[in-house]
Amino acid sequence: MDRAYLGEFEELVLLTAAVLEGTAYGVTIAAELKQRTSRTISLSGVHVALYRLEEKGFVRSELGGATAARGGRRKRLFTITAAGKRTLAEMRELRNELWDAMPNPSLS
Amino acid sequence: MPYSQPNSPPPVPPNRRPPRWADRLLTWFCPPELREELLGDLHEQFEQQVAELGAAKARRLYVWEVIRFCRPYFIRRRVKAVTAQSTDYSSISLFSQTMSISRNYLTVAWRKLQQNRTFSIINVLGLAIGMATCLLISLYILDELRFDRFNIKADRIYRVNTDLKIGEAEHQLATVPDPFGPTFAHDFPQVERQVRFRNYGGYLVRKGAESLKEEGVVFVDSTLFDVFTLPLVAGNPRTALTEPNTVVITESIARKYFGTTQVLGKTLTFNRTEQDKITGVIRDIPTTSHFRFDFFRSMLSIDEAKQGNWLGFNFTTYLLLKKGTQPSSLVAQLRTFTDRYASPALQKWGGTDLKGFEKTGGYIRYSLMPLTDIHLRSDRISELAPNSDIRYVLMFGAMALFILLIACVNFMNLSTAQSAGRAKEVGMRKVLGSMHWQLIGQFLIESMLMSGLALVVAIGLGVVLLPYFNTLANKTIHLVAPDQLMLLPALLGFALLVGLLAGSYPAFFLARFQPIKVLKGAVQSGARKSRLRNGLVVFQFATSLVIIIGTFVIYAQLNFIRSQKVGFDKDQVLLIKDANALGTQVAAFRNEVGQLPGVVTGTTTGFFPVDGWGQNSEAFFPEGVKEAEKALKMEIWNVDADYLPTLGIKLTEGRNFSKQLSTDSSAILINEAAARLLGYRSPINHTIERKRSAKRTDTYTIIGVVKDFNFQSLRQSVGPLILHLDKSEQGIGFKLATRDVAGVVANIEAKWKTMAGGQPFSYSFLDESFDRMYRSEQRVGQVFVSFAALAILIACLGLFGLSAFTAERRTKEIGVRKVLGASTGSIVGLLSKDFLKLVLIAIGIASPVAWYAMNRWLQNFAYKIDIGWWIFVLAGLLTLAIALLTVSFQSIKAALVNPVKSLRSE
Repeated sequence: MDRAYLGEFEELVLLTAAVLEGTAYGVTIAAELKQRTSRTISLSGVHVALYRLEEKGFVRSELGGATAARGGRRKRLFTITAAGKRTLAEMRELRNELWDAMPNPSLS
Repeated sequence: MPYSQPNSPPPVPPNRRPPRWADRLLTWFCPPELREELLGDLHEQFEQQVAELGAAKARRLYVWEVIRFCRPYFIRRRVKAVTAQSTDYSSISLFSQTMSISRNYLTVAWRKLQQNRTFSIINVLGLAIGMATCLLISLYILDELRFDRFNIKADRIYRVNTDLKIGEAEHQLATVPDPFGPTFAHDFPQVERQVRFRNYGGYLVRKGAESLKEEGVVFVDSTLFDVFTLPLVAGNPRTALTEPNTVVITESIARKYFGTTQVLGKTLTFNRTEQDKITGVIRDIPTTSHFRFDFFRSMLSIDEAKQGNWLGFNFTTYLLLKKGTQPSSLVAQLRTFTDRYASPALQKWGGTDLKGFEKTGGYIRYSLMPLTDIHLRSDRISELAPNSDIRYVLMFGAMALFILLIACVNFMNLSTAQSAGRAKEVGMRKVLGSMHWQLIGQFLIESMLMSGLALVVAIGLGVVLLPYFNTLANKTIHLVAPDQLMLLPALLGFALLVGLLAGSYPAFFLARFQPIKVLKGAVQSGARKSRLRNGLVVFQFATSLVIIIGTFVIYAQLNFIRSQKVGFDKDQVLLIKDANALGTQVAAFRNEVGQLPGVVTGTTTGFFPVDGWGQNSEAFFPEGVKEAEKALKMEIWNVDADYLPTLGIKLTEGRNFSKQLSTDSSAILINEAAARLLGYRSPINHTIERKRSAKRTDTYTIIGVVKDFNFQSLRQSVGPLILHLDKSEQGIGFKLATRDVAGVVANIEAKWKTMAGGQPFSYSFLDESFDRMYRSEQRVGQVFVSFAALAILIACLGLFGLSAFTAERRTKEIGVRKVLGASTGSIVGLLSKDFLKLVLIAIGIASPVAWYAMNRWLQNFAYKIDIGWWIFVLAGLLTLAIALLTVSFQSIKAALVNPVKSLRSE
């Protein structure tokens, strides 16, 4: 494989991280996904996905400042990397190509 | 990484905080570097949820969320972190250390298993056989203990038993008079329902043109379905048996007779004339029910159920007590109840009330027996079906336990022996920084891995062997009954326990070694004589020997019974049941069959000296005796003049009945036991009296004495018996003298068909019926043989392993000895001697134990063998031979090795 595999949920998390630019961390991503997909989203799932994405080099992370709301604990903020953006773009392109190749795209 | 509490936390009430323990769980579980951010995120989300959903729900969601954080990803991440930066111990929590080390233990344990493959296989196999045996026996015992528990109200159902003594005759009955149940339920509000069963034995049920003999027919009250849990697949349980001439049948009977279960309203014909309408179909009675009937006919169809006879005991009666009723509260009132109703009946019968009756030594005592006790603890007259015996359950259990113990000992022995050679490894590990507890953990994990493997093999073995076991134990057990699923965790726990036990000795022993001594070679593990190990070997063989001796004794006793002179000639006697189906033709049939070639003689009677035929015990008054308490209890059988010649019973005095003498209708023959009981030197022409009712007394004259013959089980000595010339047409016995038994039987059957008008022909042979009486002993014998074989097999596996181990460790010694001129024979002797000594000690211990146990068992029999010394010698020699064979295989192998090879290294 020339590119790291990206699962469906990972892709969603990556996209959300890109959407939330600068304020993306566990809670906000989970909330955003919950709202948009109306699925049950567990924090643990989001976190594991984020760590995996980081290991694959699609996101970067740094510890942010402490806030009183979290009992003074810092949060880890995630930003999408260039590689992440490129992968998302490639996936989108691939999908578009496939949609275009479909003889009857209206599907229903 | 500091886990910082906030400097000035806002005061939050505890129920609005996330649960502490959940936080602690997460802290323990997740990688430390992620702790802060994860906890932060979780808390932030929690506060949002408190605002949205309330504190209680938020706390629940929080716990759920934390639990979902416990996923393999984090473990892997931690393990990776540990291996990546293993120099930085300070940052690794105890958790990740344990994780990685456990993995290492498993790897090492697996390698060790593969290194000594033969050894491991022997070890695991021995334990697996033991476990499999234990598994099967547990299934058996569970099945026995489960009897009748399928009834939802089982703990409230009681059967009423009767203990009865009239004259000298004592009876323990499982039945009570017909009015007992309804009257009792009426008088005592604690009784919610009662149901009576009346069992008349088999019926002929018409199917198309032919009639089939059905044994599972019973008459019951309509309350059957209120008391017992017998779900109906068709029909209404409330109304099913409330009319006379109705019947409820099982599904399989419905299919057998009609090919469908849609049979409501159809008619079944019993004994040609009785027509019952089918008003219900129930599921087949579970195999764990103490009664197994197929046809439940309405009690309203029979007159006997309405006669109100307090002195007839024919109805099996079950009481369903109301919730919370103590049976003792009812038992206390049984005496007055009996007095109230039995006294008038006794007055009419014998001119005395219950008190007067009791003064003559008689009694009528009722008692309640819990439903769940019936299968294992009840052996009374008129049981609905033969029951099992708690003693068998205990015996099986004890055997299983012993086998398992032998297997465990084996396992321990081999593990210990094997690990003794690992002193150097322990030393090395200690030098490299292993902690004491880590070494212990390592050995324990190794042995638990082995016992876990054994469990897997055991389950496989169990699955394969279950059908054979079912045949052996006469059961239909399935391995995966849903209610036995709890057995699996129990087994798993058990396997771990065995592993722990077996591993504990080597673990604690070896982990104590001082590394410096071990590495210098000061601890000579090989030369250490393990007294514990020897003790265990002795224990194993002693146990096996007890089982072997037990087997020998049981078999000798069974052979003895079979070859016993029973006093009658049981060969080639054909017994035909239900001869009264012939109606008026009984005598004609007998005479015509008597003319057939190959038939010597025939006798018409319902009494034959094997199970399944009549028993009839009554009280008799010897000459001049009138008092009821001096009456003698004796069996009286109605036979004809051909009884003695047909069964080959010998007369010692007097003469047989004569067909010509009409006075012989009051003549009797007695056996020697009866003659002894009566105490006449010459009994001929003495008379005895039999009270038929309050008014009528029959007087019998003794015309002859027959040699004692065994008419009951050989467990009892021969009791007093009277043969009386009277009509009894339940059966016919024919003495055959032919090489072609099948041909003669076919001829007899053909004759039956012409005269019996469609009634089934059912016959048996006397000798087969006789053997059947000792089937439970035979089954016990077979079980013992299987167990003895298993015990010896496991013990020998252990011995094989141990001898292999010793031989291997003494390779060098053997090499040196050979170089110095020792012969192969002397080396084999050297290696075998130690083990044989142990087996001899075992024989010494086992013999008295086995002698004592088997002597107790033999007390059950009136006719028994003496336990001869040859049994012990034989068992001992057998064990010795097997042990020698096992050991010598290894020692000969060791002795034949070229010393050049064994001495070359170093």
